[in-house]
Amino acid sequence: MKLLIVDDDTNIQRLYKEELEEEGYNVVIAGTGKEALEMFESENPDIVTLDILMPDIDGISLLRKMKEQRPNIPIIMSTAYDYRDDFAVWASEAYIVKSSDLGELKNTIKKLIDK
Amino acid sequence: MSKVFNVTGCILRLIEGSNLQIKASYGLSDRIKQSMDLQIGEGIAGHVFSTGAPLMIDDTHKMPDNLRVPGIDATSVICVPLSVGERTIGTLGLYDKKDEWGMTTFTEEDLKSLMTFASVSSIAIENARLYRAEIEKEKEVSQTKDYLKSLIEDSADAIVTSDIGGLITSWNKGAENIYGFTEDEVIGKFLPMVPPFLREEEKNFIHKIMQKETLRNMETIRQTKSGRLIEVSLTLSPILDASGDVAAVSGISRDISEKKLVEKELIRKNQELSRLFFINSVVRSTLDLDKLLRMVLTVVTMGDGLGFNRAILFLVDESGKALKGEMGVGPASPEEAKNIWLSMEGKSLGVIIDEIENGPVFLDSHLDRLSQKLSIDINGDCILCRCIKEKRPLNIRSAKTEPSVTPYIIQMLGADSFGIVPLVSRDKIIGLIWVDNLFTGRPIKDEDLQFLMGFSSHIASAIENARLFENVTLAQSELKNIFESISDMVYYTDKDFTIKRVNQAVVRKIGKPEEEIIGQKCYKIFHGKDEPWELCPHHKSSASQQPYVGEIEDPYLDGTFVVSNSPIFDSARNFVGTVHISRDVTELRNLRERVTHSERMAALGELAARVAHEIRNPLISIGGFARRLEKKLSGDIQEYAKIIVNEVSRLENILKEILGFVKSSRVNKSNVNINDLLAGIVDFISPEMDERHNTIITEFSEQPIIAVIDPDRIREAILNIFTNAAQATDHGTITVKTMFEDNEAVIELTDTGCGIREEDLKSIFNPFFTTKPQGTGLGLAVTHKIIQEHDGKVKVESVWGGGTAFRIYLPARRTSLHEARGKRT
Repeated sequence: MKLLIVDDDTNIQRLYKEELEEEGYNVVIAGTGKEALEMFESENPDIVTLDILMPDIDGISLLRKMKEQRPNIPIIMSTAYDYRDDFAVWASEAYIVKSSDLGELKNTIKKLIDK
Repeated sequence: MSKVFNVTGCILRLIEGSNLQIKASYGLSDRIKQSMDLQIGEGIAGHVFSTGAPLMIDDTHKMPDNLRVPGIDATSVICVPLSVGERTIGTLGLYDKKDEWGMTTFTEEDLKSLMTFASVSSIAIENARLYRAEIEKEKEVSQTKDYLKSLIEDSADAIVTSDIGGLITSWNKGAENIYGFTEDEVIGKFLPMVPPFLREEEKNFIHKIMQKETLRNMETIRQTKSGRLIEVSLTLSPILDASGDVAAVSGISRDISEKKLVEKELIRKNQELSRLFFINSVVRSTLDLDKLLRMVLTVVTMGDGLGFNRAILFLVDESGKALKGEMGVGPASPEEAKNIWLSMEGKSLGVIIDEIENGPVFLDSHLDRLSQKLSIDINGDCILCRCIKEKRPLNIRSAKTEPSVTPYIIQMLGADSFGIVPLVSRDKIIGLIWVDNLFTGRPIKDEDLQFLMGFSSHIASAIENARLFENVTLAQSELKNIFESISDMVYYTDKDFTIKRVNQAVVRKIGKPEEEIIGQKCYKIFHGKDEPWELCPHHKSSASQQPYVGEIEDPYLDGTFVVSNSPIFDSARNFVGTVHISRDVTELRNLRERVTHSERMAALGELAARVAHEIRNPLISIGGFARRLEKKLSGDIQEYAKIIVNEVSRLENILKEILGFVKSSRVNKSNVNINDLLAGIVDFISPEMDERHNTIITEFSEQPIIAVIDPDRIREAILNIFTNAAQATDHGTITVKTMFEDNEAVIELTDTGCGIREEDLKSIFNPFFTTKPQGTGLGLAVTHKIIQEHDGKVKVESVWGGGTAFRIYLPARRTSLHEARGKRT
């Protein structure tokens, strides 16, 4: 089960990678939007986690592009900002507020895999 | 006698008036006879007549001249008076006695014989005269009788004689005509034409007649053979016998029923019409036109009025080019005519007029609709146009033979004979009234049309007045509408601050009926004060008598008002009062404040978001790796890691609040029953309430209140208030009330807690404002923002130490239980 994590903060990348690999997932990391799109094609992940605020391409655009390529890919939107009311995020499978406690993220991934 | 006495001539004279006329003679020529009448004392005969003594003359030529009668050439004469008792009736004279030898003279013997003869013949003559006089008299009487008889017989009056017991002795043709009895039927009977109820009175009359009184021209009632009662004018007089006693009674009576009927009808028409057109002239100005017109037509058609079958009113339309049927009164068919007649029976015109006056007017009868279809070019050849052009009534007896009656009219109205009367007011043609007797076919009398014509000018001017009145009313109501519909408060006061007139906006704002506002002092009604308020622009404008515009914040009416005051002056430039136009700008001010508030928030939010974002990622790293340390360490060091994790969590929560507060939101709205939502919140919060020994009292509206809201947001907003209330209250009550007011759901949360300081009240909705050591100062700011996003309001009232009341107003609607249930499922 391969997860693609998209986040521009290297510390957070590492935290996610270590925590999720401990859960038994194969984790690949992208630090920019461009990198994320390349890896989305080359790595062919099963689930994607997207930070909305990215320096080059914002998370909403990435979400749209990835869904265009693979409509059924489960994508989790993760952000420091509360974007629940932005209709764009409805296109994603889940939405979580970034937190140092990764419990919610792990639960969400598990639910999406069980589906 | 001439032979007996052997004389040449003989003359018999009888007195007629003062003349001694020759009644018989012998030996006199006819010519002499005619010129020989003598006056008393004139000639021999006159002398004899006047003295009553006989005269014997031997030679007349020896007589004095005054005794001689010219023309009679006699020599010897004897003349004796003809006497009956003391009375001399004439003379008898002989002249020129002859014997065998010629002329001789009369002897004493002759005189005696003649006197004897005269006395006998006097009586005979007198008898003959008396007889003749008798004959003459009789003849005269019989002539008079005949004359009287024919007079009596031919008279149209009933002439009846009766004896003093009232038994009929004569009965003329007039009596037969009037009373219906023939002479044979009534002779010898007691006055059969006296109705039973008047018999006693009749006896009184006879009693008066017996006193030789004559009763003239009494109006009384008589009964005909068929039992019909008629009104008569009666003259009763006594008939006297030769001795001057009353022997009989004559009665002359004349049938005046017809006259009475006409009189009565006239009086009634006059009364009713004058009642309508003159007495009601005052009322008239308050009538609306339709009612007036309806009354006019009703008067024309009612039996008590003019009694036409149908009446239709045509009015000249506003363009002046067409005569248009306005309304019609009358039945649609003979069947309906009968029904109407039955329903009207017993109702006087007055009652019906009152009904029209007080009831609604419907213009939808058959004849109304028919009339309203009629439109006639006023310049055409139609008879109706002629009527109004000539301004005189026309009585059309046969429409078919009258060329100017157009087939259109005949076809539409179906009457072959009709009358039309123009309505002219002050030379202006208003229209006309059409009348006909379509159902009864009764011919229309010229008098009736004249009569109607007599009233037409009144009708016309009444219509004109009503039209004017209608126009004035319309203009007035337009003005009133404008005055009333201005959303600003408009009112007048006199110079003593007494309110004279207000519009609906004032009534709405003050919340009292108009009657309770007018007549009150304006400072009392608008500012709740007992004397003029010096801050009120009105005070300034009435002091300076200059227009004044100002903004006033009035705690009494709880709002801000822009007030324009203009003094009113009368024609003598005296200050008489003030016009006030007052606009409630509270909403505007609130809006302005809200805009400022939002701008402040936006700026603040942007800053907060930037700070939060910059802080959040490092916090996640710190917190995340601390959790990893915590898992891998043990003992005291693990404890340190845990502290880091906890503190980071707290910081993250603060950030969540800030970011949740500033985030641009799209509200997820649906129909929500406010009462259900609150019930859920109360359940949720109850455990927390118990901790502080607080009681929650709920007073929810009976009917569900439905608002279109985002239930999660509103729950959050209300929870923030609840939390505050719970923290401020110990061993107290928190009351939750819901109400529906002016299309708003009102949620009221009242606590008995410590309250809010007056100086803090203004700030409680500001972000980061808090009085609590642990508070973020965001709870009420979030509440405020959420309610704002729902187009609602939050108001707070608080007394320091006396509790706080929050009121949330949300646009909502009241709904039926049924609908509410439907929404929930």
